Amino acid sequence: MGGRLLAIGRAVAFVALALVLCGAIFELAGFSAPDMFAAILDGAFLSDGALAHDLRWACPLFVSAAGVIVAFRCGYFNVGAQGQFYMGAIGATVAVALLPGWPALLVTLVALLAALAFGGLWALWPGWLRIRSGTDEVITTLMGNFIAGLFLIWVTSGPLKDPSGSGQVTSSTPVPAAIRISTDTGVSGWIIGLTVAVGLVTWVLVNRTAFGVLGGLAGRNPVMVTWQGARLSRLGLGAFVFSGATAGLAGAMEVLGPDGRLVSGFSPAHGFTAVLIALVANLSVSGGVIVALFFGGLASASLYLPVIAGLPSAAIDMVNAAIALFITSRVAPWRLVRVPRSRSERR
Amino acid sequence: MIDLFVSVLRTGTPMIYVAMAGVLAQRAGVWNLGLEGLMITGACAAVVLTEQTGSVLLGLGGAILFSVLLSALLWLVIEKLRANPIIAGLGLTGLGLGGTDFAVQAIYGSEGAVTAPAGIPNLGPAFGPFGVLDALVIAMPCVVFGLWVLCRRTRFGLRLAACGEHPFAARSVGADPARMRLIALLLGGVLAGLGGAELSLGGLQIFSVGMTAGRGFMAFSAVIFGAGHPIGATFAALFFALVEFLGIKAQLVFGEHAPRDFVLMLPYLATVLGIWISARFRGGALLSATEMRDG
Repeated sequence: MGGRLLAIGRAVAFVALALVLCGAIFELAGFSAPDMFAAILDGAFLSDGALAHDLRWACPLFVSAAGVIVAFRCGYFNVGAQGQFYMGAIGATVAVALLPGWPALLVTLVALLAALAFGGLWALWPGWLRIRSGTDEVITTLMGNFIAGLFLIWVTSGPLKDPSGSGQVTSSTPVPAAIRISTDTGVSGWIIGLTVAVGLVTWVLVNRTAFGVLGGLAGRNPVMVTWQGARLSRLGLGAFVFSGATAGLAGAMEVLGPDGRLVSGFSPAHGFTAVLIALVANLSVSGGVIVALFFGGLASASLYLPVIAGLPSAAIDMVNAAIALFITSRVAPWRLVRVPRSRSERR
Repeated sequence: MIDLFVSVLRTGTPMIYVAMAGVLAQRAGVWNLGLEGLMITGACAAVVLTEQTGSVLLGLGGAILFSVLLSALLWLVIEKLRANPIIAGLGLTGLGLGGTDFAVQAIYGSEGAVTAPAGIPNLGPAFGPFGVLDALVIAMPCVVFGLWVLCRRTRFGLRLAACGEHPFAARSVGADPARMRLIALLLGGVLAGLGGAELSLGGLQIFSVGMTAGRGFMAFSAVIFGAGHPIGATFAALFFALVEFLGIKAQLVFGEHAPRDFVLMLPYLATVLGIWISARFRGGALLSATEMRDG
């Protein structure tokens, strides 16, 4: 328990350090850092209805993060959640477009399954390259993000384009209301239910199955796991596909939920934030719930900042990035003052 | 043919400078995924400072300064806080992308493109088709050669490689790996800043938010494709630039039959192909993510 408290303390301390760094940059840019953080806090957690908005962003983020947790635990840096998220969203939209006139509930279910499949497949090829030939998955999944982003632009401006759409941002035709799983608020029984289900499945997978135990070991010592007789390749592919499928599901939750249509370049920070949630939660599923609520708050605040406080919304991107910069540190910030030269491994 | 040569050289040069930064970091044993962030910071600082002061030299200086500062921050986080280099690098990239977006919005009030009044001086019309090549493109072969000499023919280069491959051995001859990494990252910061400046000031003299579009990651892949060798990485970067050029050509020739978005995918696909080939024929990643995972 003491170890867990220490881990939480470290996470909080590094988030605070990241905020201080960003605060210094904001001050240099001529903004008042305290006002800025007050605005973020207000937009994220304190203002009317802020918690409902948090939940709207936190649910898809948590679903993606659950997959990232599984992949990272197995030692695979799948940073392609963004691309898998887009592919899942495309899968769901294609399913809706291909099944006109079917019963609404059936279409919804097929769309969700299509999202799982599309997301999983988009994680399959980097996983396959990683396991068969040791191709670095960080690069392949990052490149996959760019490719999926361009594919999304093509899909929304070509085959699935809404002919009546106008303006600069292209999008698909709206998903019929009967098929959608929530209104524009993004909070509904469906969304909460899916999120809880993914959370439970992931928790059981990680903590109560051979896959989770072996995966956790493989992340630390792959050689030992092969000596135990486990098939590392199967384990790794499973982790990749699972993480891709959850990210794909998150994409469907956006399209069938609050967005109600497939928009070119939507939620551009989703994948990075999901990775961040997994890391801040120290790859724990239960911790991910709370961390996802925090980052959901930041995500909703980024929409409010320009409107309420006249601040650039990129401020939130900077805060997120600064947290990523520090969060994996193994030296606690309060020990930085006198780091022993012997580089002791103490955590 | 000259058209192709000039065009590939111009597209490839920014990536080559950034790849040289990656080579230095790679040899010192740091997987620098922050290159994308350094590149966009250099690109932004160069155009914004040139626009504000009217001096291209100040713009270049600013690009180098900010890129070096960010490199120092990365070193601090990796060496002193002992963070995972991959995640810290991605964080630095996010800081660069978000920070430049923030800066442009804070200074100009909108996310629109910023145009600099002047660019890096080029050869001029007297040189015919080569006239569009600017000073940094001309200097590029010298920089690559200089880096090759530094890495392969000097005491410093040998120690740098020792620090990357076997820090214990390096320490036993009196080289401090942490210090060597600092030098490698700071020097890399200079090169990556120049690469970013060449991207924005060298071409259209425009900075737009997110304009690097993964070129920093491509430069990183060029380092892996080129086996951490300056000249190998240069040719890898030129290969990516060639793919980009051929895609644009294909679009001009085939028009509607080569959809724009798929043409834009080509460099990314080439990057995946490149690192797959290097993994397939030279054995997996130099350092697997597993080994670097935060235990």
